[in-house]
Amino acid sequence: MPTAVRSKGFIAIALLPALLLFLVFVIIPVFWSAYYGFFSWKGFGDAKFIGFDNYIEMFKDPIFWRALRNNLILVGSSIIGQIPIALIIAIVLFKNSFFSRFIRSAVFMPMVLSTVVVGLIWGYIYHPQFGIANYVLEMLGLESWTRPWLSDPKVNMLAISIPINWANVGPYLVIFIAALQNISPEIHDAAQIDGSTGWNKLTQITLPMVWNTVVVTIVLCISGSLKAFDHVIVMTGGGPAQSTELLATYMYNSTFSVYRYGYGSAVSTMIMIVSAILIALNYFATRRKPS
Amino acid sequence: MRSKRKIGLVLLMMTLVLAACGGGQSKEQAGGGKEGSQEKVKLTIWHNFAGDDLRAKSVRSFIDQFAQDHPEVTLDAQAIPPDGYRQRLSTVAAANEMPDVFFVYAGSHSAELHQAKLLQPITEVLDAHSDWKDKFLPGAFDPYQFEEGQIYSAPVGMSATSILYYNKALFDKHNVKVPTTWEEMMTAVKTFNDNGITPIALGNKAPWVAQSTIIGSIADRVTGTEWFKKAAAQDGAKFTDPEFIEALGYFKELVDNKAFQEGANSIDNTQAEQYFIQGNAAMMISGAWTLTNLAASSSEEQMKDIEVTTLPSIPGGKGEAGTISGGAGGGLALSSRTEGKAKELALELIYAVSGPEAQKAIAESNSMVMYDTDIDESKVTSLYYKAFNLVKTTGITPVYDAYLSAEAADVINNGLQEIMMGGSIEGVAQKLQDAQARSATP
Repeated sequence: MPTAVRSKGFIAIALLPALLLFLVFVIIPVFWSAYYGFFSWKGFGDAKFIGFDNYIEMFKDPIFWRALRNNLILVGSSIIGQIPIALIIAIVLFKNSFFSRFIRSAVFMPMVLSTVVVGLIWGYIYHPQFGIANYVLEMLGLESWTRPWLSDPKVNMLAISIPINWANVGPYLVIFIAALQNISPEIHDAAQIDGSTGWNKLTQITLPMVWNTVVVTIVLCISGSLKAFDHVIVMTGGGPAQSTELLATYMYNSTFSVYRYGYGSAVSTMIMIVSAILIALNYFATRRKPS
Repeated sequence: MRSKRKIGLVLLMMTLVLAACGGGQSKEQAGGGKEGSQEKVKLTIWHNFAGDDLRAKSVRSFIDQFAQDHPEVTLDAQAIPPDGYRQRLSTVAAANEMPDVFFVYAGSHSAELHQAKLLQPITEVLDAHSDWKDKFLPGAFDPYQFEEGQIYSAPVGMSATSILYYNKALFDKHNVKVPTTWEEMMTAVKTFNDNGITPIALGNKAPWVAQSTIIGSIADRVTGTEWFKKAAAQDGAKFTDPEFIEALGYFKELVDNKAFQEGANSIDNTQAEQYFIQGNAAMMISGAWTLTNLAASSSEEQMKDIEVTTLPSIPGGKGEAGTISGGAGGGLALSSRTEGKAKELALELIYAVSGPEAQKAIAESNSMVMYDTDIDESKVTSLYYKAFNLVKTTGITPVYDAYLSAEAADVINNGLQEIMMGGSIEGVAQKLQDAQARSATP
């Protein structure tokens, strides 16, 4: 008992600095911004209390819903894009040969590029006049497919999600490789003795063993996609006519180009609520599957 | 166990006390600057002349010169890139920690700062140098006179936002007349399109471009300036009025006739300038900033084919033809919290950076000023010299976003992109009207 208490006390004291920092720089601002969401405020001057008006306006604003839809497109595209691709590459390139190390670094490389660079590179790829994307399509004889990728509202969210997926596969790859390496060789041996190989072994042994990791990466994907901001700001700035607006860019634009801090705060509170809901949904959806 | 808790509590309190101390100290330091004014006066100046272009360099040199001439001043000058400048300023404004002297934009930006009581007039320094004050062009102080007889800033630039640049070589080659009427404009658009040349280069990724350069001028030609000022004040005119719908219709006509290159909404203004200067487009409607950009990025060889004029006239329009939208640019303003000796020196600093010498130097760095000064032709690019003389003689009409609220400006910016994507004119006009009405009635 005494040692347990002492160690508990010690743990509390040791945690205190980190906890305090977290409290001051994360928790308090979150509530602070939720509080500002009830005001009409320009960022300077007097703030006027307006109750839930900001939230009501947000729910009535079609742009908010479009931003939410775009965010969900991103969430969807990264869950069906990044995770399977990362998992497949991880399984294929699991062996530690020179070739697989090379491919792995190549896949990871966009991660170390600044997002501004990624945005600029893909901005040029999609350039309506000199872009490689349209040039390649023309070479292949697919003239009818060429279009201004970033300004055509029918395709621009899709066009944006490609570089975002491209840039973010890297970390998931690393996570999956680590998870695969954690499966102890005895299990593989046992499976082999029982006659399980190939596809059967993959679905019966490997995937169930890394399932928990997959769940974690889905959470990372959801929260990452809801926070997505930088690629879009660089490539389109949320335009044209707010067709690629995400929740985060919508918040940024309401706060910093229209100078409605109160409204922006309400939007940021909403982003938090939406991600909490999605992550909770994901938690319940994936919890039952593994035995 | 209880003692452990106490220790924890004490530790927690100590942290809080320490944190409070930290806060107090910095306040003291800030106040100390003013007390110790006998020896050293602390002055801070924030501006957005952060670039590597000639104008930014010459403005910075005047600030440095001031610091050298006044050894009694500890000058903290911060050059903040224009893209983030307004954000930075509103962040410190929210915390009420404005620098002593700072650059403000004409229009809603300075008006909002004035409303928030963050500015004080600089009339005394203008009156002290009346020869300087008198040489400003008519209308130079309009955006800065928030109350009778008080001026809050002296502009160090002029925005001329709707100059029609055209590539004379291309016009000659295809035998097209430089458009002076709307009909000729549409003929030119058609001819260039038939010959596979983009008629007008536009980079509208940052959506203010089409608004600032095209719609302000076209709408003024249709509606007249009077109407716009009434609509902006929401006093006797609305943006849903037929004349404004007609004005948007002209913009739509350009879009429908493919006057702009494909994907204009996804490339930025600088890329469009390059596209134009390389001869891919016959015209470009842009502001005076293009002069500065081209001076920095293209050769005299490329520029010699480029001529400047005003946008064409519009049949039956109520506004004057041959005008350019524009007005006084930004200037330096004085924080309402700066007092005593610091204020005196701050006013001197404003004079040093926006006085006659500075105005001339800025004008000679390929950048327009709102000040009557002669420039040395050999010091500027040929294109700038042409534009400088054009602007001297034309009338000036208001730029839309300088009069609209920030929110309404955002709406029309996005609305024009919407029209370019096939959206309805009436819908955009209605949204603009709603947004402006919301901010005009507090």
